[in-house]
Amino acid sequence: MALLEITDLSVTFDTDDGPVHAVSNLSLSVEKGETLGIVGESGSGKSQTAFALLGLLARNGRASGSVRFDGQEILGATTKEMNRLRADRMAIVFQDPMTSLNPYMRISDQMAEVLTLHRGMGKREAVSEAVRMLDAVRIPSARDRIRLYPHEFSGGMRQRVMIAMALLCQPDLLVADEPTTALDVTVQAQIMDLLDDLQKEFGMATILITHDLGVVAGFCERVVVLYGGRVMEEGPTDPLFARPTHPYTRGLLAAVPRVDDADAKMRAIPGAPPDMADPPPGCPFRPRCDFAGDDCLRMPPLEPFDRNRARACRRPVAEVAP
Amino acid sequence: MLTYTLKRLAVAIPTLLLLIVVSFLLMHAAPGGPFTAERELPPQVLANLNAKYGLDDPLWKQILTYVWNVVTGFDFGPSFIYKDRTVNEIIAQGFPVTLTYGLLSFAVAVVVGVSLGIAAAVRHNSALDYAAVGVSIGAQVLPNFVMAPILVLVFTLWLGWLPGGGWQGPEYWILPVVALSTSFMASIARITRSSMLEVLTQNHIRTARAKGLPEHRVILRHALKPALLPVISYLGPAFVGMITGSVVVDIYFSTGGIGKAFVDSALNRDYAVMMGVTILMGALTIFFNLVVDLAYAWIDPKIRY
Amino acid sequence: MVSTAEQTTATDVAPKKGRSLWADARRRFLRNKAAMLGLAILVFVALFAVFGGLLAQWSNEELDYNVMGQAAQLGGPSLENGHYFGTDDLGRDLFARTVQGTQISLAVGVIGALIACVVGTVYGATAGYLGGRIDSVMMRLVDIFMAVPYMFVLILLLVMYGRSITILFIGVGLISWMEMARIVRGQTLSLKGRDFVEAAQATGVSTPVIIARHIVPNLLGVIAVYATLLVPLMILTESFISFLGLGVQEPMTSLGALISEGAGTIAYGTTWQLGFPLLFFVLTLFGFFFVGDGLRDALDPKDR
Repeated sequence: MALLEITDLSVTFDTDDGPVHAVSNLSLSVEKGETLGIVGESGSGKSQTAFALLGLLARNGRASGSVRFDGQEILGATTKEMNRLRADRMAIVFQDPMTSLNPYMRISDQMAEVLTLHRGMGKREAVSEAVRMLDAVRIPSARDRIRLYPHEFSGGMRQRVMIAMALLCQPDLLVADEPTTALDVTVQAQIMDLLDDLQKEFGMATILITHDLGVVAGFCERVVVLYGGRVMEEGPTDPLFARPTHPYTRGLLAAVPRVDDADAKMRAIPGAPPDMADPPPGCPFRPRCDFAGDDCLRMPPLEPFDRNRARACRRPVAEVAP
Repeated sequence: MLTYTLKRLAVAIPTLLLLIVVSFLLMHAAPGGPFTAERELPPQVLANLNAKYGLDDPLWKQILTYVWNVVTGFDFGPSFIYKDRTVNEIIAQGFPVTLTYGLLSFAVAVVVGVSLGIAAAVRHNSALDYAAVGVSIGAQVLPNFVMAPILVLVFTLWLGWLPGGGWQGPEYWILPVVALSTSFMASIARITRSSMLEVLTQNHIRTARAKGLPEHRVILRHALKPALLPVISYLGPAFVGMITGSVVVDIYFSTGGIGKAFVDSALNRDYAVMMGVTILMGALTIFFNLVVDLAYAWIDPKIRY
Repeated sequence: MVSTAEQTTATDVAPKKGRSLWADARRRFLRNKAAMLGLAILVFVALFAVFGGLLAQWSNEELDYNVMGQAAQLGGPSLENGHYFGTDDLGRDLFARTVQGTQISLAVGVIGALIACVVGTVYGATAGYLGGRIDSVMMRLVDIFMAVPYMFVLILLLVMYGRSITILFIGVGLISWMEMARIVRGQTLSLKGRDFVEAAQATGVSTPVIIARHIVPNLLGVIAVYATLLVPLMILTESFISFLGLGVQEPMTSLGALISEGAGTIAYGTTWQLGFPLLFFVLTLFGFFFVGDGLRDALDPKDR
């Protein structure tokens, strides 16, 4: 049984301009200890998928479908039921470490409250456990710095604190929502190395949400490509990157600047992502797709092919290296 | 924190001195002296009076004397109208009354306003929220001088439940306190509600929720402090507003606070009393703003430089 | 501007179709029920103030000797004797007096707000544009000014220089420009870094011209919002002073003075003397607050 089983998840926001469909009929699963990458441009619905999992959607958001965690249906669970899982069994690291920590509380208090809540620890014990976790994310002289406030840390250090905080209860599932996007490039690499080491050390299943294909290639065993709130293609990382078959996946890979090949042209995908308040009928990528035909006006189903791969496309591209 | 306190003090003290000097200059520049009121005085009498009140000294000396007396002895000199009474005596008589209902009103406005605002934000778009918004919009147009007659009309004249004036015991406190606190309570509720709503959309609140904290812990431990910051900045103006409003309360409810002394002296052109009251109120305001600044810094760690 | 990931995402996935800023603001304003109600109220109050005099059967100074001395019994609102709103204790027509009071209160509100706006905008734009040490000294001064209980100083002024309506107008305006100055300064600081201002600086346009040509026009939206919200505050201030009997002088009157008179006589059962002035006072304030809030929401949607 998979640790996390998402079936037909849809997320809709009610706005002044009518409903916005951020995620439509998304299905995916994560095994225990597995690393899964969710890739997509901004607005593709990847972060909202993560928020829906933990029941953290904004007030105007609604989720439908099914999310089963360890066999238990958690979509539509009460806040009280969700609170037992959050941080304890499923934890999340957010995109922006500058605003995701409470600026008015000491790091020690912010970390300790997780342990007093879920592990019933006393304050002293919780703080010393928190210090150990800060050591684990390689924050120097953690014992002294845990008394500080967030603004006294740099962005990279704050993201380390966020990661330490998420791992305090050694969760079964860690969701990392663009954990490096807000950081400097050099710091990004350090954080990804850290996440990689921690994942190996603690063995938790990890969903890495990102728009950065390079990050996915280095970290994830499996990848799901999202576009317009729908799954375009999924499969094990290496074959998917080596032989992309969905025109969108190909476009994404072609748009990555390559350092090793100075002659290779960097090609942006023409056009703009769809307006999710008024999505085009059928495949969301159709308006930007070179291969689209009239049959794409109906959304193609996600069909398995090859080994453990699947795609939602009626005009798959010949399986050649990009 | 100490340097911050000293910095704020460095602003507060000159402000107070400035207030004293400016009030004195205003009084000095007023057309006609204080004794040209109704009837013409014989020149000899006028000269004697001017000598008695030090008005024939050069201006700089008058200012220095006045400031010196106020700062060292809190001595505002004699009243210009009541020859046998000093400004201090007049103020001392009414001040305890003003202080009593002023502090009560302030406490009511803050406690009720903040609680109402939080409840409305937490139950956003509920009946409670709409009721709170309705009350706070309604109370915006019901300042103390409107509340006072309405309260007396309803609770004294129609229902006969509460005394409409005087100062003889706790039941006399109720109407003045309600009249004075309502509009500020409403403003505080409105500010608390909107700032709480904004804070609740911030990323660190989502982090708190992701920790599995129960909702009341999220609100009280994580959202309350930042949500209170705008409320704290409003407390300064609210304090000034209440001090000002106390004048209406004293007049309308005959409570006998210093507001009455102020209006009487205004109508009698008793500049000494007016200045005394103005400076006292200014000093209270400046002191209170200092307290507010320190409270703000205590909540927001980024300010403690 | 701390926007949340949720909000950002929601707007990211729903890019607005090319509506202009002003058209968008107007649409939001017209859709705002409270603002439209406020506007309707203001139109009604303005019509009452301007044309109410034509409907009145009595002038505001005329004494009705039939009623005088028996105001509690005979002075109530009546269509027969032409006192639509009743009379005051002296037998003066309350309708005519309410019309005049509304005129004076509106005038004080609007003129006071204008004065506050002009002073606040010039001060705030100058401080924000010049920046640096001048800015910090100017804003520190505002801090100092804001810590003064102005009502007392204003009353002091009124008593010393005679209770003329001009001093009232100017005084009310001069005690309220500080908040405006702060807001304008903040906006100016953010405008200063914009390309068109830097372009003007680079081509050697002088500072006063840049402030007048490039900064102030871009502040008009903010100024309009806060001016609308200042008017009711000015009316409140004037009414407060008049309530204490230190404001406008008889035979002139204002809503505050009428409320004061009405409040003084409620014990004798002449509730209308409080009720009608109070009604117009409350309506006027509501109108301005609703319209002001509506404008703010329309021009600054993130503030909802």
